Amino acid sequence: MTDTITAPTIEYLLLSPLLVVFGAAIVGVLVEAFAPRYLRAAFQVPLTLLSLVAAFALVIFVVVKDGVPNKAAAMGAVAADGPALFIWGTILLLAFVSVLLIGDDFVPSAVAVPGSVEEERAVSEGAAHTEVYPLVLFAVGGMLLFAASNDLLVMFVALEVMSLPLYMLCGLARRRRLLSQEAAMKYFLLGAFSSAFFLYGTALLYGYAGSIDLSKISTSLSSVGGQDSLLFIGAAVLGVGLFFKIGAVPFQMWKPDVYQGAPTPITALMASGTLVAAFGALLRVFWVALGNLEWDWSPVVWAVAILTMVVGAILAITQTDIKRMLAYSSIAHAGFILTAVVATAGAKQNSLALSGILFYLVAYGLTTVGAFGVVTMVRDPGGEAWHLSRWAGLGKRSPKLAMVLAFFLLAMAGIPLTSGFFAKYAVFSAAVSGGAVALVVVGVVASAIAAFFYVRVIVLMFFSDPAADGPSIVMPIATRGVVGFAALATVVLGVFPQPVLDLASKAAQSLFVR
Amino acid sequence: MGETFVFWVLAVVSVIAALGLVFSRKAVYSALMLGVVMLSLAVLYAVQDAPFLAVVQIIVYTGAVMMLFLFVLMMVGVDSSDSLVETIKGQRFWAVLAGLGFAVLLALGIGNAFIGPAKGLAAYPQNVPSLAELIFTRHVFAFEVTSALLITAALGAVVLAHRERLTPKLTQRDLARQRFKEFARTGRNPAPLPGPGTYARHNAIDKPALLPDGSIAAQSVNRYVARYEKAEGTLPPEVAQALESDSEALELEKE
Repeated sequence: MTDTITAPTIEYLLLSPLLVVFGAAIVGVLVEAFAPRYLRAAFQVPLTLLSLVAAFALVIFVVVKDGVPNKAAAMGAVAADGPALFIWGTILLLAFVSVLLIGDDFVPSAVAVPGSVEEERAVSEGAAHTEVYPLVLFAVGGMLLFAASNDLLVMFVALEVMSLPLYMLCGLARRRRLLSQEAAMKYFLLGAFSSAFFLYGTALLYGYAGSIDLSKISTSLSSVGGQDSLLFIGAAVLGVGLFFKIGAVPFQMWKPDVYQGAPTPITALMASGTLVAAFGALLRVFWVALGNLEWDWSPVVWAVAILTMVVGAILAITQTDIKRMLAYSSIAHAGFILTAVVATAGAKQNSLALSGILFYLVAYGLTTVGAFGVVTMVRDPGGEAWHLSRWAGLGKRSPKLAMVLAFFLLAMAGIPLTSGFFAKYAVFSAAVSGGAVALVVVGVVASAIAAFFYVRVIVLMFFSDPAADGPSIVMPIATRGVVGFAALATVVLGVFPQPVLDLASKAAQSLFVR
Repeated sequence: MGETFVFWVLAVVSVIAALGLVFSRKAVYSALMLGVVMLSLAVLYAVQDAPFLAVVQIIVYTGAVMMLFLFVLMMVGVDSSDSLVETIKGQRFWAVLAGLGFAVLLALGIGNAFIGPAKGLAAYPQNVPSLAELIFTRHVFAFEVTSALLITAALGAVVLAHRERLTPKLTQRDLARQRFKEFARTGRNPAPLPGPGTYARHNAIDKPALLPDGSIAAQSVNRYVARYEKAEGTLPPEVAQALESDSEALELEKE
């Protein structure tokens, strides 16, 4: 050890998207502290949206200025490479549209007991928790870092930074508050368990490799001998933490409850942004750190992928709550993406699989945000019309909205001319060329099962008579914009996917930094 | 030699404490046992040449986290007991089975692992300065991002627990105005109650105040004392008479 410590070098430009998001979140907290209540929303909404746009612009600027970077920034803590930047752009875009969905979905006063006089007074006084905006920004910052972390310690910190605000936000739904608080509690407890598993795995892998750097773990796979049990237990336990975050079976239990209970904009953010970030981290751990261990983990991921696809698709059929149904569909989609995660072999195959996954994440993320956007629009007197029977005959009452939702559902089912088709095609073809044909067969069967419940909703909307006291349609301008944008993206990616596919394959070309 | 000795002494202490933690019926005892376990761990760390870890263990875990546990216990109420009704049938059995299975799996796995000689101590001979160097160079980004976590925690606590004042706070002036408005409406005395013993020979709590004409001010009689004295049969007759003339006081006394 030397007596002087050399100052660390931080690549501020490469990290600027992260820094902007975190900085804006902290400014948002200051706004909460100093601005009067009636001005807060007027500050927070533009601040949040502008910071997300600025971060997105910085991602593009970084690529335009010096080409796709491929280095570990901030003393090797953050990986700035093609996939990371692509995922950053995706998360920022999805977060932007999810923030636009935020309307009157949040509780006016979280501390008031549900149904109490105090709550009524908070409603009539027009109180609002504008803290949700900085919380969302913190969560987005955590997502960005989670997908780009280059060592397990940063990954753990990012996991917490991402999850903690989400636990909070889940419990703040304005309607059906007890359900929402239950969801937050469940998510918090199970999330804490999974974080503990992740940390335990990190410790065991450190014991094996003597380092928490993903690349050093990878190199020690060939040089360290005789400690295989540490490695295997560590990898398995780490995997539990990651599979929990993507909601893969058998760690999917939280997803339906949390998606149902959370305010719908937050559900949209979790279903899109968190999934993208979690896949980024999962790929880094399994491909970079444990890449040379593929023979050992791929059977496990095979099994998890099959279970995830089948369980997600089958349980979705029995759901009567639209948000729960979308949650199970999100589980099934995580399984579809996993088919490409196991399809590794050589650099060329890997970049093919990676670009497929990246494209899938963009396409699915936008479609799912759009679908949840439609869910926020269909209202009963007591809030969103969550029960599927309330959606009967929506096609006759509001044909345009029903058509848009039907289109989103078809995209999730993977019908041609929608983004979902090319997304599924991309991951399945990568899986086939990676030798996972059996997995693709299961995937196609699961897609067919999934198509059944998507189509069932469409049939319900268009071929049954509307109830006399059916739900009303509320269309705030921002939500309308989000749904329109998502629909447009679903069409464009379904008809003319080449630019985004090119972008994804360019980002995936040099694979993850090592 | 010394290390082995310390280990065996602390092993006995900490295992007994850990068993006590699990099996004691009172939550406070469990918390204190946890404190003992944590302190034994801290000493073990210190013996193993990890002074930083030992100090952190004491300051953060034993000092802060344990105190939080105790605060929560005190707030919830020391006497309150958990409901032990199983909501899922056979939950306890399966939980024990799964827990034991996992423990056996881990113990076998880690027990089989060959743990090489520690590398960290050789590379970084000085514990605390080396940690400082790592935190401020290699792991500086993780260290700084942790601040986001702390801000989130603080903000979350505010959102969940802070009750924002929705109505303006009543000032002294508002309260006085309210009292006089009520006086105008119901005739309720706006002034404070007279203290006991005013104009009387004693100012003890059980001596009623006297009005200028020498009669007893009924409002100054302490109702609780009067009730007690009545039950004991020592209530002075003039006080009882004064209270009888005040219907409100009698009602209160009858309560």
